[in-house]
Amino acid sequence: MVDGIRNWKNHILVLILVIGAEYIGIHSFKVGIGTIVLLPMLYALAAGALLGPKFLKLVKQKDMVEAGSLIGVTLMLLMARYGTLVGPNLPMILKTSPALILQEFGNLGTVLIGIPVAVFLGLKREAIGAAHSVAREPNVALIGDIYGLDGAEGQGVMGVYICGTVFGTIFYGLMATVTAALGIFHPLALGMASGVGSASMMTASVGSLSAAYPQLADKIQALGAASNMLSGLDGIYMSLWMALPMSEWLYRTCYRMKYGQLPDRPVYKEVRS
Amino acid sequence: MKTLEVLAVLVIVAIMSLAANLVGAKIPVQDALPGMAVLIAICIAGVLCAKHIPVRIPSVAYIVTLACILTYPGFPGAATISAWVKKVNFLALTTPILAYAGIALGKDLDMLKKTGWRIVVVSFVVFIGTYVGSAVIAQVVLKMIGEI
Repeated sequence: MVDGIRNWKNHILVLILVIGAEYIGIHSFKVGIGTIVLLPMLYALAAGALLGPKFLKLVKQKDMVEAGSLIGVTLMLLMARYGTLVGPNLPMILKTSPALILQEFGNLGTVLIGIPVAVFLGLKREAIGAAHSVAREPNVALIGDIYGLDGAEGQGVMGVYICGTVFGTIFYGLMATVTAALGIFHPLALGMASGVGSASMMTASVGSLSAAYPQLADKIQALGAASNMLSGLDGIYMSLWMALPMSEWLYRTCYRMKYGQLPDRPVYKEVRS
Repeated sequence: MKTLEVLAVLVIVAIMSLAANLVGAKIPVQDALPGMAVLIAICIAGVLCAKHIPVRIPSVAYIVTLACILTYPGFPGAATISAWVKKVNFLALTTPILAYAGIALGKDLDMLKKTGWRIVVVSFVVFIGTYVGSAVIAQVVLKMIGEI
């Protein structure tokens, strides 16, 4: 990591990318009933990837490896800020009903469906990062801390994170509309389910539901927001203590079914000295 | 990973984020400075906790928890800290991270081309899984307690 810190070329390039990306700003496009959102972080990511030897040749292999070594620490500031978003709402969360707390375990549904699909599609360790959670900021930080973000698990979680950022709002908006139209679930249950730990996804889903059930709009919005806060609060522990062990187990099981042998043992980041 | 090295990276990223905060969210650097200092302090405290508390919990978990406690209404100074950190835009913190991630991504582009579409499919499955999973449980519990 020392080399990464001393790599001033990287830092200057990043500063230029950041200022450029922020200057372009946020743009959103209405597509049908949903919205596609483009954020500065996406421009920075895309432009950063173009600096490599394949395209602009501004950074070398060494620079890319050194940039990668820093990502885990760079996420910490975001996590601290994230915690400060949850703290002020904690009393409201703690007061909410048992339904709200229990439905949090529904987030483990990602693992049960996601891991088998990922392994079936031929993903290896990427599956763990990609399917252990809905891959918002805390989950990315956690995978970075446990496996490192430059490995296969890191690529998996970053892939879903990016997909969620670009398509998340439109996808959740559509999904809420479709599930509401199916009529299997009560709108209040869907309102609670909307809080997956991302404000924009929750807003999209709650927005669609409110439009479908105007008489329940207030309740749907309150439950969505509360559930979203709760996901923000418990998300990291849910991943650490339940979703990740479950993912590892399900990955081994599915891997053996598909390939007839056990996968290689996972590689953890070296224990911090 | 030495604590001093972590601090160095945090300060570098903080400078980038302050720039993003200024250009994107139009918040002057001097307004955001106290909040940023608090965030750095929380991170360092989290790293020290992970290092010195023998239970194996990652530093990010400590960091989220500490930040949560410090801004819990009723905790001494919570209102001040909340007001300070509000001057640091959440999105401004994400831009530098993804810029570093972008540079690092350059070396995995071939790999990404191979896994790319699969990750997109898995993403959508993951989104559906979370949503339906939560909806099923919420539905059952709400029915049981007679809310619906």
